[in-house]
Amino acid sequence: MIVATIERPQRRWAHSRSGPLFLLPSALIIATFVLYPIAQSLWMSLHDWSMFQVTHPFVGLANYAELIRDRRFWNALLNTIVFTVATVPVQVIVGLLLAIALSRSRWWAVFLRSVYFFPVISSFATMAIVWRFLLSADVGPTASWLRALGITPLDWLHSTVWALPAIIMVGLWKNIGFTMVILLAALQDVPESLTEAAVLDGATRWQRFIHVTIPSIRHALLFTSVIAVIASLQVFDQVYVMTRGGPLFHTETLVTYMYEQGFTEYRSGYAAAIAWVLFVLIMLVSIVQLRLFRYADVD
Amino acid sequence: MKTKTLLAALAASSMLAIGLAGHALAAPVTLTYWSGFTGGDKQAYLDLIKKFNDTHPDIQVDYQLQPWDSIAQKLPTAIISGSGPDLATPDYNVATIQQYVANGLALPLDDLIPQVGQGVLPQAVIDSFSVGGKLYAAPANYATLLLYYNKDMLKTGGIAAPPKTMAELQDYAVKLSSGQGQYGIALADNATIQMWPVLIWSDGGDLIANKCSALADPKTIATVEKWSGLIRDKKISPVGSTGQDADNLFAAGKAAFEINGPWAAGQYKSAGVNFGVAPVPVGDSGKPVTLASTVPTIVSSKTQHPKEAQIFLAWWLSKDTQVQLSTAAAYAPSRNDMGNDPSITSNPTVAAFAAQVPYARLYLPTEKDFAKIDTGIFIPAIQSAEQNGNAAEALKAANDQLNQLLGCP
Repeated sequence: MIVATIERPQRRWAHSRSGPLFLLPSALIIATFVLYPIAQSLWMSLHDWSMFQVTHPFVGLANYAELIRDRRFWNALLNTIVFTVATVPVQVIVGLLLAIALSRSRWWAVFLRSVYFFPVISSFATMAIVWRFLLSADVGPTASWLRALGITPLDWLHSTVWALPAIIMVGLWKNIGFTMVILLAALQDVPESLTEAAVLDGATRWQRFIHVTIPSIRHALLFTSVIAVIASLQVFDQVYVMTRGGPLFHTETLVTYMYEQGFTEYRSGYAAAIAWVLFVLIMLVSIVQLRLFRYADVD
Repeated sequence: MKTKTLLAALAASSMLAIGLAGHALAAPVTLTYWSGFTGGDKQAYLDLIKKFNDTHPDIQVDYQLQPWDSIAQKLPTAIISGSGPDLATPDYNVATIQQYVANGLALPLDDLIPQVGQGVLPQAVIDSFSVGGKLYAAPANYATLLLYYNKDMLKTGGIAAPPKTMAELQDYAVKLSSGQGQYGIALADNATIQMWPVLIWSDGGDLIANKCSALADPKTIATVEKWSGLIRDKKISPVGSTGQDADNLFAAGKAAFEINGPWAAGQYKSAGVNFGVAPVPVGDSGKPVTLASTVPTIVSSKTQHPKEAQIFLAWWLSKDTQVQLSTAAAYAPSRNDMGNDPSITSNPTVAAFAAQVPYARLYLPTEKDFAKIDTGIFIPAIQSAEQNGNAAEALKAANDQLNQLLGCP
């Protein structure tokens, strides 16, 4: 009994020593490549920081104050919000519908899953170039086919009205497959006992979907919507390749504007301030999403 | 015994010293050169670097090709931290070197002009690459723009020869536009070699005059009104094209004219377009004018080999090298004294581009806020005129923004 009381703290100590050691490699990588750049960018956002200069004068919150007066920043923020609001619900709902439709193990369902997932694994920069051709009103196959049918093609990417919807459409094409695959996996895990019980209780298909399926895949829905929101708020690739933010800034987003300030105008401090606004925005939206989905955890 | 040992030691050390000195004499200096020429002209540059290395055993250039974006992101910090190259092309926009000079990252090339010769480099190059009377960069190339025209489309439209005046160009462009996917001209306004400034200059207008905005100058407004009106009403060109869009359109045989540089010829040839080149038509000013485009090469202020770097640049600007570059990539020579050189005049394409050198102007060559003026003020004004038909209003608003940026009333 006495021996046991002496040994137990020793084992605990050994455990507590080996735990951090196992964590150390990952912690070092995260500290170097994630935490340090985050802290550094906050520091930069408080300075008049240019890549060209050795000294970077401290300016306090001046970069943030300038953001408030910067109409291009507000325009980019609005475009980013429009993109996110238009993209996320469609991505989650259509992803869910596809997952339900393709959850059987027929050969065509398996084939179509691969088809819908293909855009996720393709290079977005390359695909954006392909889409530029497909959406062109002058060059490319779509324009020729439409003209052959006597239809005047729409000049999506050069139109102040249609450029942003085109960017949204391409974003959905790229990301719906990801949502579909996650939700497909979640659907496989819905307990059959619950579905059977609901059938026995006389629930209709719609009632089973709302009261059994949806609550069972709640965590997967939360995951896909949080990831979709974060990815949408950070939209860059397709905008940079397809429109460069044009025409007339109608597709300029926070990240493309940040890129331009940082690497075209070399205003790293100002770009860092934009990055921090985006960081806070993503954090707030994610907190709200987690809160909204948490209500049902009580059951 | 002692003396013998001493003598042997002396002999050994003197041999070692001679050996080291010999080694130091023989070891070539290696210059690292970051360059962004990854396009169709890549091979011409690679061949020249090989030629230099083959003929200069004492100086070897380690030529490292990188995308322009990558150079823009890495070069300033690389030079500051001492890990940068000896030579670099910082950007294809010449104004960028102002930032490098202002922050002491580029070395003045005091040894270059004595090697190349006074008055040899084009004045536009000297003006834009000099700060405070000192030259800070050498031209890696020198290009002018010409009017490309699709011979087949002109023939079908009953047009015998390319236009000589802007009025003719406008007439022909209207005539050759179908409104159904065939355009008179491919006129790009963003992400492009600048085409609109050429139109403005040819009518006597400008972007900046006497260090203040000239965007609200009646001539500038008249030109933009005229062209944007034709684009909106007569559909002579698509709205809001990038340089790539315009090139694709001309390469697909769907645009009759395009203002472009020598680098475009290769892709049009391989696309099977039956094209010719002509000088940019003369506008209301009555004077020929076109755009000059040159890429600066700077020497890093942290280089250990400033002398060798300038020997390389002087070799680059020598007549032989310029002939080879011009022949391979159709660039105009970066020298004033080669207009009548037989190796230039015997090649009609090179000769046509070279003939424009006296009329060629650089776009915003010394504006340190180049990006802000170009993508933040000028391009949006042009796009607004094209999209909304409000040229005068858009240019006046842009004029106010530009004057505020330049510190003008």
